[in-house]
Amino acid sequence: MIKRIFHFVSASCIIFLSCAPVVQAEDEDKLEFSGFARVIMGYLDDNNAEYIYYDNSVSFDQQSLIGFQADYQLNDDFSVTGQVVGHTGSQRDSGLEWLYLTFKPNNAFQVKLGKQRIPFFNYSDSLDVGFAYPWLTLPQQFYDTSFFSTFEGVLANYEFARNDWVINYEGYWGYYDDEFRSGSRTVDTKITGLFGINTTLAYKQFSLRASYNQGNVALGLPEASQFGELIGQLGFSNNANWLNPDGPIEFYQFSANYENLDYFVRSEVVDIVGKSGLTPDVNSFYVSLGYNFYPYTAYISYSKRDVKFKHIPNEIPYAVSPQLDQIAATYDFILSQFRDENVNGSKIGIRWDWRSNVALKAELTLVRANGQVSNDSALRDLGNFDGRAVLYQLGIDWVF
Amino acid sequence: MIKASLLLIGTIFSLTGNICCANDAITVVANTQDRSIYLNRQEVRNLFMGGAQHYGLHAIVLPPNNQTRVLFNTKVIGLTEARIQSYWAQMRFTGRKRAPHEEISESSVLEYLKNNKGAVGYLPAGITIPEQLTVIYSNI
Repeated sequence: MIKRIFHFVSASCIIFLSCAPVVQAEDEDKLEFSGFARVIMGYLDDNNAEYIYYDNSVSFDQQSLIGFQADYQLNDDFSVTGQVVGHTGSQRDSGLEWLYLTFKPNNAFQVKLGKQRIPFFNYSDSLDVGFAYPWLTLPQQFYDTSFFSTFEGVLANYEFARNDWVINYEGYWGYYDDEFRSGSRTVDTKITGLFGINTTLAYKQFSLRASYNQGNVALGLPEASQFGELIGQLGFSNNANWLNPDGPIEFYQFSANYENLDYFVRSEVVDIVGKSGLTPDVNSFYVSLGYNFYPYTAYISYSKRDVKFKHIPNEIPYAVSPQLDQIAATYDFILSQFRDENVNGSKIGIRWDWRSNVALKAELTLVRANGQVSNDSALRDLGNFDGRAVLYQLGIDWVF
Repeated sequence: MIKASLLLIGTIFSLTGNICCANDAITVVANTQDRSIYLNRQEVRNLFMGGAQHYGLHAIVLPPNNQTRVLFNTKVIGLTEARIQSYWAQMRFTGRKRAPHEEISESSVLEYLKNNKGAVGYLPAGITIPEQLTVIYSNI
């Protein structure tokens, strides 16, 4: 029923936006088109690894993209917004990213209904708009945890000012039903009961943000489910439960930022807690310092990601029967496919605001893996990777 | 003679200082019926960054590279033009806020303010303010 309501709203938004050019003649101010684009070149200095899909060759087609947005003002309180994004990278699907109806009765409160980006972190809902952030690539050890980016549902936002403080509350609720790519895997994913709340406190040049998000995740991993059922029937219930890919997931995020004419400090930390065995606990953070000498901004950044699966020992005994040996070996094999990982990234870069809507960027990222690489994140070991690689990037970000 | 020279130099520095201060000053003017409104710097910053406020005012701005805008960004907002542009890009493409309406020059700002109730804009200090407009902030 809820799905049908959101689909109805989405369909209505498409009809409104497609009819808008006809209405445009009547009142041009009601319809606005805008967009953003980025062209990024990258080169990884290592033959034995891939990082954010860049390898040891010059590539333009991993993060380059173009997006178009249409906003149509229905009346003083209601508007419709649609945004489509075309990605060059094969790991991201091109198409509709946003399509929602906004009710904004005043400057303090608004409600959006439809397909939207999930506001997990500071830049979760503007990942593709490179012009909006100083870095060329967002600190990947942190933003790699944005497993899924859009949801269908309702989002409400309320902001007010008290003395020198500006306080913003935001909450959303909805569902996600799509596939997400995690490193080398593509997994069908359904998340129900997806909701989150966040608050931002801004005082002069400081801002703090805290958020809590949760959802009930159902991962499409039929082999793991079927094998879990089999060993459950054999009485190895702990191992069977570990292989159950369904369960709740929680995100706790905190961010602290400071900026003035000359400097900025930006930082975020997140703790992700997965209740099912196949969903890991993830701790990650980044901190970035920048120096402004307009029209240039120079920055350094350090980020770290620590992924831990709650592996439990194999209860299935070896050397009892050939069939049990095979089942035990299968369990150990599956366990070995869900590896812990500890990766960090250090960046140095510069942004040049060439025009008020065009920024040129250059960035160097040193990525280091402490121990094994899981191949489920931005960093992939192609064989004999020594755990250290440098990514060189040049890019242009444009809004129009 | 030396005393006279020092006095002259002091006078020149003093006059130059006053001129510099006057050139750096910004006045924020609104078309509002409530003539008692007077905001502090933080409230003005919040107003021009699209923040909620209970006066029912809506900001208008000058285009990038306009000297009054550069001065306003520097003295009141406290951010570079680049940072302000990236902020509005994030707000626009996440559907949170819209950038303020832009007027081409100080004279067109004055004209817009006179004709639109609730409009608020910044101007260089020293500009003649029409009777129907209210100064709600000045950093002189």
